[in-house]
Amino acid sequence: MATQVAPVPTTPAVGDNVVVETRNLSKIYRDFWGRQKVRALKPLDLSIYRGEIFGLLGPNGSGKTTTIKLLLGLLFPTTGQALVFGRDATDVAKNERLGFLPEESYLYRFLNAEETLDFYGRLFNMPSSVRRQRTAELIDMVGLNWAKRRQLREYSKGMARRIGLAQALINDPELILLDEPTSGLDPIGTREMKDLILKLKAEGKTVVMCSHLLADVQDVCDRIAILHQGELKELGRVDSLLRMRDLTQIRASGLNDEAKAEIRAVIERHHGTLNSMDNPTTTLEELFLSIVRDSEARPGRRGKFEEDAKGGKTGG
Amino acid sequence: MVRDFVIPSSYWLWLPEAVLHYLLVVALVSVAGLVFAFLIAAVRHGPMRAGDMIYRVMASVGSDLLRFSPRRVFALARLAVQESMRRRVWVALVVFGFVLLFAGWFLTPSSDPKELGNFDPGKLYINFVLTATTYLVMLLAIFLSAMSLPTDLKNRTIYTIVTKPVRTGEIVLGRILGFTVIGTVLLCVMGAASYVFVNRSLDHTHELTTADLTDLPRDPGTISAGGKEGFTSIDHNHRHHVVLDAEGNGVTDVQQGHFHRVHAVKNSAGEVESYVVGPPEEQLVARVPIYGSLRILDRSGKQGEGINIGKEWTYRKYLDGGTPMAAIWTFTGITPERFPDGKLPLEMLLRVFRTYKGKIADEKKNNRVVGILSSIELVNPEQPSMKSTAIIFTAKDQVIDKHYIPRKLERNTDKGVETVDLFDDLVTKDGRLDLVLRCLEPSQYVGVAEADVYLKSSNGSYPFNFAKGYFGIWMQMVLVVGFGVMLSTFLSGPVAILATMGILIMGFFTKDVTDLFTAVIEHNYKLVPGGGPIESFIRLVEQQNITLELPPTFGIHLAQFFDKILMSFMRAIVEVLPNFNDYSNVQFVADGFDVPIVRILQQATLGLGFVVALFVAGHVFLRMREVAK
Repeated sequence: MATQVAPVPTTPAVGDNVVVETRNLSKIYRDFWGRQKVRALKPLDLSIYRGEIFGLLGPNGSGKTTTIKLLLGLLFPTTGQALVFGRDATDVAKNERLGFLPEESYLYRFLNAEETLDFYGRLFNMPSSVRRQRTAELIDMVGLNWAKRRQLREYSKGMARRIGLAQALINDPELILLDEPTSGLDPIGTREMKDLILKLKAEGKTVVMCSHLLADVQDVCDRIAILHQGELKELGRVDSLLRMRDLTQIRASGLNDEAKAEIRAVIERHHGTLNSMDNPTTTLEELFLSIVRDSEARPGRRGKFEEDAKGGKTGG
Repeated sequence: MVRDFVIPSSYWLWLPEAVLHYLLVVALVSVAGLVFAFLIAAVRHGPMRAGDMIYRVMASVGSDLLRFSPRRVFALARLAVQESMRRRVWVALVVFGFVLLFAGWFLTPSSDPKELGNFDPGKLYINFVLTATTYLVMLLAIFLSAMSLPTDLKNRTIYTIVTKPVRTGEIVLGRILGFTVIGTVLLCVMGAASYVFVNRSLDHTHELTTADLTDLPRDPGTISAGGKEGFTSIDHNHRHHVVLDAEGNGVTDVQQGHFHRVHAVKNSAGEVESYVVGPPEEQLVARVPIYGSLRILDRSGKQGEGINIGKEWTYRKYLDGGTPMAAIWTFTGITPERFPDGKLPLEMLLRVFRTYKGKIADEKKNNRVVGILSSIELVNPEQPSMKSTAIIFTAKDQVIDKHYIPRKLERNTDKGVETVDLFDDLVTKDGRLDLVLRCLEPSQYVGVAEADVYLKSSNGSYPFNFAKGYFGIWMQMVLVVGFGVMLSTFLSGPVAILATMGILIMGFFTKDVTDLFTAVIEHNYKLVPGGGPIESFIRLVEQQNITLELPPTFGIHLAQFFDKILMSFMRAIVEVLPNFNDYSNVQFVADGFDVPIVRILQQATLGLGFVVALFVAGHVFLRMREVAK
């Protein structure tokens, strides 16, 4: 399928509130002697606006995580500058309004969930009453009430990821950076994460997420940047980038064979090419989620497909 | 007690000069550090960018220091405490408990009372518990402090901290505080256990029955009139000689650093039924000494150096017996108000060196080691002819000899013996008094050092003194924690452990290490033979003796030149590092001397200075490094 590059909007998505800006930002990893080892990021110019969900895409080693780390001040740029809320990325004060969910669970395994959130809350100088309330809300939000007194070393990956998300939101940040947020999650966890990201956007927050799972990014992101080998290859709105302008898609139901033949003739008459006419397929994720929902609603019952087969009905 | 250090007479007089010295050293080290950092950055990025980088880092460090949050520091300290507890740091207490449980089996050197001689168990036990605590706590402090940050960096748990509004200085300070709290709690528990252990181990009494006693000759007017003498039972590998008055009360002699009071239990008829020997006294004490300044007269009676009898350690000088050699201590502040009971409580801890052994008259009488005849005279420093008659005593090796000099003394004149008053005649108007010590037996020697003779002004509180001993260990622990955390901001865990251990070892052996560096710099083979590392390596390869000069070739000169540069650099570092012996109060407590409050204040001030410098250094180093790799 051919794709056309949609024109990048000349006006910002929401006013001129630039939350994150990079100017000629690059990163070269060097060895102890100062010799170049890896050129992780080539000069990058990027702006991320308030209230949008921005996706950083690319295969492994494309520079996504390096970019996130530069924005967080975990790495120092080789050239250029990264600005967050108008401040240099190495300025610690910007972290007051920022939340970060790392790729893995980089939390203290000897603390339990309550202690973890209490600790991070203290780092924001939260008064104890506010901290307690916020801890309870977040644990409830991520569904870990039943395990809040267990040390994190006993948590599964999904549970650890959820508490990681809670700590990223402890200060009700304006900007949230998510590094591979759906990596390692099951489909239900992935769906919940995506719903949460959309909820954050609805609250007016800005979300920057980097991922190599394209389907997940497609579902939630407003704008994306595609990186490859440290270089920015594409930047724009998701819907614009993915629209195939030279193809027309028609969905209809209740068509018999006669109607289908007529449609073929119309296309031919207008010198069009019928690429395909068949029944569309749902996504595996939708199928999986519907089966799980159905199973929760009706435990012990077999799935619709098997029931249909027993009843002599064909599938689809 | 070996007293090879100086304690200032007043903390407030010492403080301004110390602060000035501290600021000067901090300024020099900071400038040196900045220059070094600039050079490194200039090589990698060019001078302009290097200057910009240095400026930015310094500006951010400065602004960070002004925006510290005590709440965040407390949160990070609390995390360090939780981490330590959940890593089972309390196992150290279990280890210490086992050590104390079985220590008693090994601490008594001999069961033969005659071989024990002048053994002081109080000193041994206190030394043991304080030293065991020191080793255990230092090891714990090193591992906790040096591994914490590198573990965070390796596990990347630090990502979730530095992406919060946390200054790197808060991370450093939080860890220092947290590990200090853990160490303090452990030290308190160990200190309490040690105190109970020492007290219970040393507590004992003896039996004394009528059958153990013989009557003393009845000399009217003396304390022995109607009295008895004898020996107590053997307990804790020793026994005491006891002299009782006619009422059956008295005191034992001093054995193993203590004595007992004895009193008689009488029946209704007034006859002695039994004797009760009280608990040991003066075993666990905290003497508050008044030291004098020492000068020595040589064999010709002129100011001299004393004799070196062949010992490498030249802390003590020896007086040749039977000659005019003398040691003179000049005491100041001797006033009747200071000694209200009119007596001078004199204590001497001398060394005795005998050129011939074997039995001398009264050598060993009934298990008492008699010693070497010596004398002391009290002299007016302004009028040397105004002096008391010699007080003869026997100097015993490493035994505290106690004398209560009465106010009224005798003086030999041409007209015979006359009475002199200690304070009116022998002490000068400004309160000075000379005490002259001589060894009387020819071919025997008495060893003296300035701190070996003192006047005991009072006894301090032993429990408080014990706590002061632990304060010294606590200060050492705080320094180790500070160094461990600071070094771990830029070194990996194992390397930080080694570096911290190196600083600790250099701190305990500062004098030896400094002598080594000085010997190389000044090419002084008498001080430490063998040269520096490069020269030593050459000697090793060529199998050359360390005491001989190497041939003066160009290569040898070059090697010695580089050794001098390296050793100069190392000596500069050692000058800046703390001398851990300065923070040790173990010898005070073990030898039964009160730790002066001035010393405690001095230690606290110096320690605080080091911790502040280490915190700032750690803040800068962590600020300058990339957290992610």
